[in-house]
Amino acid sequence: MRKIAGFVRMAAMGLPVLFAVSLAEAQSGPPTAEELAAQIDALKQDYEKRIAALEAQIAAMKAKPPAADGQAAPASKPTMRTGDNAFNPALGVVLNAMFVDRSDEEVGLPGFQLGHESERPEKGFSLGHSEVSMSGNIDDKFRGGLTLGLGAHDGETEVELEEAYIQTLAGSGLPDGVRLKAGRALWTFGYLNEQHAHADDFSDRPLPYRAFLDGAYNDDGAELSVVIPGDIYSEIGGGLFRGGDTPFGGSESGREAWSAYARVGGDVGLNSALRLGAYVLDGEAHGRAGAPHEDEHGHGEEDEHEGEAGNDHEDEPGHAEYFSEGSFAGDTRLFGVDFRYTLAPTGNAREQELILQGEYFRRSESGVYTLEEEHCVDPGDVDNSGEIDGTEETHGHEVCEMEAEFERLNGDANGWYAQAVYKFLPQWRVGARYARLSPPSDAELDNDISTFSTMLDWTNSEFGRVRLQYNRETFGDVRDNQLILQYVMSLGAHGAHSF
Amino acid sequence: MKRTALAAAFAAALLAPAAADAEVRILACEPEWAALAEEIGGDDVTVHSATHGRQDAHYIRARPSLIAKVRRAKILLCSGADLEVGWLPVLLERGAGRILQPGQPGHIMAADHVEVLERPAVLDRSLGDIHPGGNPHVHLDPRNIAILADVLAGRLEQIDPERAEVYRQRLASFQARWAEAMAGWRERIAALRGMKVIVYHKAWVYLLHWTGLDRIAVLERVSGVPPTASHLVEVLDRVRDSGARAILRAPFDPEDAAEWLSGKTGIPAVELPFTVGGRPEATDLFSLFDSTLALLEEAKDRS
Repeated sequence: MRKIAGFVRMAAMGLPVLFAVSLAEAQSGPPTAEELAAQIDALKQDYEKRIAALEAQIAAMKAKPPAADGQAAPASKPTMRTGDNAFNPALGVVLNAMFVDRSDEEVGLPGFQLGHESERPEKGFSLGHSEVSMSGNIDDKFRGGLTLGLGAHDGETEVELEEAYIQTLAGSGLPDGVRLKAGRALWTFGYLNEQHAHADDFSDRPLPYRAFLDGAYNDDGAELSVVIPGDIYSEIGGGLFRGGDTPFGGSESGREAWSAYARVGGDVGLNSALRLGAYVLDGEAHGRAGAPHEDEHGHGEEDEHEGEAGNDHEDEPGHAEYFSEGSFAGDTRLFGVDFRYTLAPTGNAREQELILQGEYFRRSESGVYTLEEEHCVDPGDVDNSGEIDGTEETHGHEVCEMEAEFERLNGDANGWYAQAVYKFLPQWRVGARYARLSPPSDAELDNDISTFSTMLDWTNSEFGRVRLQYNRETFGDVRDNQLILQYVMSLGAHGAHSF
Repeated sequence: MKRTALAAAFAAALLAPAAADAEVRILACEPEWAALAEEIGGDDVTVHSATHGRQDAHYIRARPSLIAKVRRAKILLCSGADLEVGWLPVLLERGAGRILQPGQPGHIMAADHVEVLERPAVLDRSLGDIHPGGNPHVHLDPRNIAILADVLAGRLEQIDPERAEVYRQRLASFQARWAEAMAGWRERIAALRGMKVIVYHKAWVYLLHWTGLDRIAVLERVSGVPPTASHLVEVLDRVRDSGARAILRAPFDPEDAAEWLSGKTGIPAVELPFTVGGRPEATDLFSLFDSTLALLEEAKDRS
């Protein structure tokens, strides 16, 4: 409406001016009939032009939805929610559980710290990760989201704050294509890291994710990304992070890590698409440790398996043990490349689809590993007067004391996986994955760890999936066979999946 | 600090708008809207369609190429009503500029501008993949095409005022040809009125509404979930002696269920183009409706 009002105002001001001009001309001498006719014609033409412009404006406005309330035609919407809950965020719940059968032997991750998220699933029935997520627009400039991961571990319910972030919307004032994300989020690194585990094509994360990122890198920090205008898709970005999550840990300055990445992609013919990416994540760790676990290594049965695996260690800890059980302080740099290729033979991913995906990670580290060893002494040898300091604890009849050993260890480790998933019927998919992990050179382990996985899943609708997966993990002579039956179902809001 | 400054300069260079790129780029979510954009925009715009004629727009991926397309587009023309909910939000969030966001002139969702049918009274996922905003396949009623032609021309004039006159002329030309075509179709649909049909997916409601065809059964028991054998048997019992003349499906709907039912009942299974490019003869909006009516007429005469 404002435009029309403006025009009317202009016209109203214009008219007297026009008349004044005519009058001035009239005063300079009596106009002839031709002059008058010409003037009237000019006026007529002027008005016709203006009327045509006005009509065009009105037509354009009719075609536009009412500008003020943004969304047009609310009259026919089913029920308008009102009151306090009208602006509730989108709420979604992911339910996930599994039944696992597996060998007694465990490969684990020799030469790597076994983080909490990368332990192998518990035997029998268990809940994996359930998720509750909320997201919504904050205002015209920001969007926010929160994801809680709920896991049951050893009879206790654990809540993890997986994500709590804000990000800028188009229209925030940043140039088009630029996005700033801050808080805690699943940051851009490789293919899988950005997505929630429930969207994965396999029940567990592949070896390099378990070894290098403990499942996923969701540190606290901020990331800027830029989609560059062009005929092919290209995006660059980078972030600054606290350095509190694997591969870092125990951040001192609160800004220990940074990342950078670049991605390109495009269509390959009508029905297939490809994306490639390169990533670097660099920072300083101040005590990255694996999950606090029971005395699994060093004593008892587990020793025998490691012995079988050729990972001999006597009383003196081997280097492999530093890598897997020690806490690390020093520089760590992770480099990654990934690709993903999708092909829908008929054009419709719902009917048939082949997805090929692979990632390669390389980690370079230089720093100090600290290994805390428990040394136990028979109580008979200890003075009863109690010269036992705070770090000591009683272990059955023995009195034990923690002793730390330090060793400076550098080393490159790398890992990769490649997988193929084929949807052969609208509701059925099969997949195969091979993953391989080379422990740090300084760990002095002779063998790589490898996993071969196959899976079959059934998807009733976009929101519910049941999967059967078989894993065969190998390290030297150790074979770890796992059979996993899993469901992943989501209810409520279900965000659109990225490529 | 030097590194930061360098990065900033680099970013600025990347973000500088390509000055020569004055042409309006339109990203259409479906081929029918791309065809409409070609009619109104002609050579003055560049049109891309996110899907092709044999693709179901429900189920595509937010491909990297689409992020690149949406990054430069000035107009986004889609069916809306959540048809593209599986991928469009990613594009809007990831590559799209401000002009494409809801409420902005570059954001055109067809369902926002026409009367939407089949708004569900109950929202529950057990009813399948339903659309809270109603049935989104609005393009199969040619009257809706005419409405969207006006809307699109208006937005083009607004976004690209220098060429406003050209867009107006093309709109006028299109509307004249469309009105003439509609007059011809009106005579043809009069003969089809009341013809009983079975459909695979509830994608045809606007066509049925316009033509007066009578839908007596849907092969998908639950929208978006392939039909079960028991449901098909139930449908078979229901339609055997109903006098239905055609089993309609889109090029991207699975063939098997429709063919099975056709084999059992003798009712011809008909693949309608559904959109521009869905069948070879549907090359533009005009031939889309021409060939659709021709296929329906053929089915009616056959049985």
